[in-house]
Amino acid sequence: MAQQIKVGDTLPTVSLKYCPYDPELKDACGIPQVLSTDSFKGKKVVIFGVPGAFTPTCNNNHLPEYHQKYQDLAKKGIDQVICISTADAFVMDAWGKWTNVSDKVIMAADGNGEFVKATGLVQDLTKAGMGAVRSKRFAMVVEDLKVTYIGVETQFGVSVSGAGAVLAKL
Amino acid sequence: MTQIKVGDTLPSVTLKYCPYDPSLEHACGIPQNLDISSLKGKKVVIFGVPGAFTPTCNNQHLPEFHQKYDEFVKKGVDQIICLSTTDAFVMDAWGKWTKTNDKIILAADGNGEFVNATGLVQDLSKIGFGTIRSLRFALIADDLKVTYVGVETGPGVSVSGADAVLAAL
Repeated sequence: MAQQIKVGDTLPTVSLKYCPYDPELKDACGIPQVLSTDSFKGKKVVIFGVPGAFTPTCNNNHLPEYHQKYQDLAKKGIDQVICISTADAFVMDAWGKWTNVSDKVIMAADGNGEFVKATGLVQDLTKAGMGAVRSKRFAMVVEDLKVTYIGVETQFGVSVSGAGAVLAKL
Repeated sequence: MTQIKVGDTLPSVTLKYCPYDPSLEHACGIPQNLDISSLKGKKVVIFGVPGAFTPTCNNQHLPEFHQKYDEFVKKGVDQIICLSTTDAFVMDAWGKWTKTNDKIILAADGNGEFVNATGLVQDLSKIGFGTIRSLRFALIADDLKVTYVGVETGPGVSVSGADAVLAAL
């Protein structure tokens, strides 16, 4: 798999999937749409990756912090906040509804693990019964497709990949 | 690998699940093991879905088994297990989302061991779902021996649905 992405690298061209936010759709997602990383050209975005939707740290810490600090991030010029995992778009959509992030965080699916493999941010969690293709816990700031910050957790919990750490770098 | 058929014995695989706890509204506790071997001596229905929270699975396949639960019990079924290749946290959330977790055991085949061992696996990378997904199926196992298997070959729910399984009991 690829080397881990670092500051100065260009984001790989990958198609993710997501269910566009629609307050009318309370239950299932509609038809998942494509979200290409190319669409971040000219924008300043934060992409953070989680090993598992609905899992304790991801659900109670990592995702909510980005939702809560959305305005702070917007004030610092962030155009979009994207949450990524290797689940599919339906699971990511349900998780977004479960945690009420509405239109603030784009819940994106890297269902085939293309993004995490291309960026070297993949981990094998077979020993936890979670399969071989999972995202590491990370956050990156990308400006016009160039990585300007990257924080990858090396242990449990949220530190360098959290909203606070990213804000401090902006 | 060959698909499991009537007369075969269920493979010895360990699934994971979050035991039903009505006081836990949000996340799952710590996922527990569900050994297939623990189904020995029991009459169980196991049905597989390609994806939790996806339209057919969410709106049809899972709810039908929940609604008809009592009919299954009347026919001697001890447990109904819903399986997919996602992890226990997603399965637990899905059970809560659909309010089915009081009657159905939402089990996780997170590494795809069960679906690989039974030949009930499919590659759905072309739709961004990765290479290890369950086929849509239902089976009846009596003391670990398969007495019915219905595997869908097209979209929708027919031979893998609650009605088809009830008719086979």
